[in-house]
Amino acid sequence: MKFWKYLGLRLLTWALTILIGVTFIFFVPRMFPSDPVEGMIGQMQARSGQMDPVAKEALRTSLRIQFGLEGSLWSQYTSFLWKGLLHFDFGPSLMSYPTPASEIITRNLPYTVGLSLTTTILAWIIGNVIGLLAGFRKNKRSSKILETIAICIYPIPYFIVALILQIVFSYVLGWFPLRATILYNGGWVAFMTSLLKASVLPAVSILLLGTGWWIISMKSLASTTAEEDFVLYARYRGLSEAKIGKSYVFRNSILTQITALAMSLGGVFNGSIMTEIIFGYPGVGTLIQDAITQSDYNMILGCITISIVAIATCTLIADLIYPFIDPRIRYS
Amino acid sequence: MRKILSLVLALALVLSLGSFAFAEEMTEVGTPRAETLIVETQTPTDVPGQFNSYMLGTQMGFGIHQLMSAHLWEIDTVKGEQFGEVAEGMPESNEDFTEHVVKIRQGIKWSDGEDLNADDVVFTFNMIMNNPGIGQSAYANTVFASVEKVDDYTVKFVTKESFPRLALRFGVTIWGNDYRIVPEHIYSQVEDVTQFKDENPVVAGPYTVKDYDPNGQWILYQLREDWQQSTLGVVTGKTEAPAAKYVLFKVLGDDTTRQMAMINNEVDVMCEVTPEILDVMTSSNDKIACWYDEFPYATSDDPCSKGLGFSIGKGAPYDSADFRWAIALAMNFDEISLGIFDGVGRASVFPIVTATSAGQELYYKPLLEWVSNFELDLGDGTTVKPFDPEYASRMAAELGIEGTDEELIEMFGVGCWKYDPEAAEKLLVKAGLEKKDDGWYFNGEPFVVNLTYLADTEAQAGRGVLAAYDQLTKFGLTCNISSESSATWDTNNGTGEYEIRGIWPTGFIVKDLYSQINGWDADLIAPMGEIGSGQGTRWNNARATEIIHEMAKVSPDSEESYELGLEFLKVAIEDMPFIGFHSGVKFVPTNSTYWTNYPCAANPYNGPWWWWSCFKYIVAEITPAA
Repeated sequence: MKFWKYLGLRLLTWALTILIGVTFIFFVPRMFPSDPVEGMIGQMQARSGQMDPVAKEALRTSLRIQFGLEGSLWSQYTSFLWKGLLHFDFGPSLMSYPTPASEIITRNLPYTVGLSLTTTILAWIIGNVIGLLAGFRKNKRSSKILETIAICIYPIPYFIVALILQIVFSYVLGWFPLRATILYNGGWVAFMTSLLKASVLPAVSILLLGTGWWIISMKSLASTTAEEDFVLYARYRGLSEAKIGKSYVFRNSILTQITALAMSLGGVFNGSIMTEIIFGYPGVGTLIQDAITQSDYNMILGCITISIVAIATCTLIADLIYPFIDPRIRYS
Repeated sequence: MRKILSLVLALALVLSLGSFAFAEEMTEVGTPRAETLIVETQTPTDVPGQFNSYMLGTQMGFGIHQLMSAHLWEIDTVKGEQFGEVAEGMPESNEDFTEHVVKIRQGIKWSDGEDLNADDVVFTFNMIMNNPGIGQSAYANTVFASVEKVDDYTVKFVTKESFPRLALRFGVTIWGNDYRIVPEHIYSQVEDVTQFKDENPVVAGPYTVKDYDPNGQWILYQLREDWQQSTLGVVTGKTEAPAAKYVLFKVLGDDTTRQMAMINNEVDVMCEVTPEILDVMTSSNDKIACWYDEFPYATSDDPCSKGLGFSIGKGAPYDSADFRWAIALAMNFDEISLGIFDGVGRASVFPIVTATSAGQELYYKPLLEWVSNFELDLGDGTTVKPFDPEYASRMAAELGIEGTDEELIEMFGVGCWKYDPEAAEKLLVKAGLEKKDDGWYFNGEPFVVNLTYLADTEAQAGRGVLAAYDQLTKFGLTCNISSESSATWDTNNGTGEYEIRGIWPTGFIVKDLYSQINGWDADLIAPMGEIGSGQGTRWNNARATEIIHEMAKVSPDSEESYELGLEFLKVAIEDMPFIGFHSGVKFVPTNSTYWTNYPCAANPYNGPWWWWSCFKYIVAEITPAA
């Protein structure tokens, strides 16, 4: 009974979080002092000099009707809740009208998720293992060296690492392409080879910094746990260091990291704007950026809604599985 | 055994070295580099595989209109004259310009072998008019009563009112034109043309799509085997095929990546860069060049001049010509030039009309005598002649450039507005401002000028505003400066929500000025805060509007139209709605590692406008490097 009550409350919180988040994201772009129609006309005018005034007015009217910006804000909102939130139909992308925003997001999302998911999980595993060693065996020289490396790497701005990798491995050595070029028509081998070549540098750049953070946080947790009474007791009982490290320090330190991992996994849908810009890697990061600069309301809603739902869902899952990981926690 | 192993290893080594030595260099998309011209495009497409120009969102500048589209009329960017592409010559109109007969070129074939004829032209225009979902539909319906086939190669356009500028409106002048001829036998089979992506386009241009990136980063085009039956082949009559069998349009990304790609010979033709980027690239790779091999490097023939626009609709003091003239005379133009692109650029100071080479010959030089004698009343009984014809020689001396007067005027322009702070002060006072010990006041309040520019893009316009800020601050005005993202820029331009900003409501490509100035018709001005079809500046000048109305009725080829254009310019100079700085200065680099004979100052067979629809005529001239 306690479980069902707990689950019900968590589901309610999950639904409310999503509703508040998407409501916010629906209204905020509409408060921008900008207009997608004027943006599109502005682009057309900028590239072709002056536009005939009659043609401009005719085009403006036509676009406003086609973009569905004529209805009231309330009707647009309710329509979004029904179609967008419940059916993931966000309507046409205004910057690529009439192509549906969801079609464009769906095309970009696998790259973002593939890269982010792989690097997030790898960084989490590597960082936590190194962090555990550094924290549990903090007086060892190797632990100090690993911690120093992590502390040195972590504060470096992400785009600097990406740029250095690009300059060294793409520009100077020529081992990887300057911009991601993924081949789809040369068969499976060509596709995988080009995808891997395009993904290595972006992945390494994310991995380096992500790992640094996990090392630092896990080291801090592990060194605190290693000082706890139950660890000292285990040592007095004569348990091996490996057993203490694995069963006492690691299991007690990893709980916080799991919550953080859940949050990070929710964030894999956001994309990484800098990775995408520097390496030309496809993804939703630049989609969101372009959508904001071009007031593409539907695209903004689509990308951010997916992200909100993902983060809220991952947090919900973490809450639900916590009691399985830590027996001290109960559904209450 | 060891001997055999050694032999095998040696053989493998020789074979691998041999294959490496003789391997043909390939592009990342699998075409021979020696046959592939690589061109930068600046914007990726979110709708890869969409090639229908009548479906919204299609990125025409991604090589689509450069290589595949067919227009009725194209532009010779050197002469500033249109020529028939699909049309055989210019339209023949009746006396009151309501009926226009257009002959269609014979011999053009679509890439599937079908003839391009009057049926395609008539179908295209009727398709546009019958589909309200097509952006161009409403305007076409405003203009045309009917578009009819006369015979297989003749079309008659009937307009609802007198329409003397059919070719200028429905053919290419600047960049391209949104009325492109489509194959009737394909598009007539489509249920809804506004939803038809046209993933395997049948085209009249010389190239077709070979492959594209589903993520929208590149498109690979291949030369048609029957290219001689394409628009390019029929118009030019060339017998020798373009050397570039493939043209790869690709996005290069941020400025750092763009530079590295160019230096590494991964791209042949780039879009605009800043002089600083050009400097880095040319010093790292001697195969990289620009329009000129030496100063000024850039071409100054881009049709859009940049400068300062006023939100005249805001009222006083911005609605005062004295105020606007005061701003012009308060700035040292020499310092502005040095601040923008180190002195590069042709002065284009007359409002609205750009001093391209042709614009300078047709409008600036004929007005030299008038503008040299033009006087401003300073309000205290004195006058000043604001024009300074010495700019070219002064800048040449400053920069150590030698040349004849004619060469220097071509490089730096016919002149600029004088730097005359004293006259500027008098004009500000005349406009109602008051100078006190702690600065300028208007209506008893401290007067602050807010300057804005577009962030990220348009370096020339943005740097112009920064330079103006320095000048006006030095003069003694209190100024604020801020940038706007493109999201708000266009809206604020329309609503008039600014004071002074770096804009480019300017141009010049053909002799007839009507298309350039008709947006300045005061009848089109919308109230402040609303967006209308006319200029956001809200310059309300009765005589200028009269001239526009008169010009609308006369032939673009007539002397009367030209005279009206000159008169319009005089009115604009007197009222100064826009302070021009320089014509469009474009640093557009090319790389001659694989290809050569790009258009340049020494060989100006076309302008360096890779992003314009006339690019197909440039590709035909580009040859492999030795």
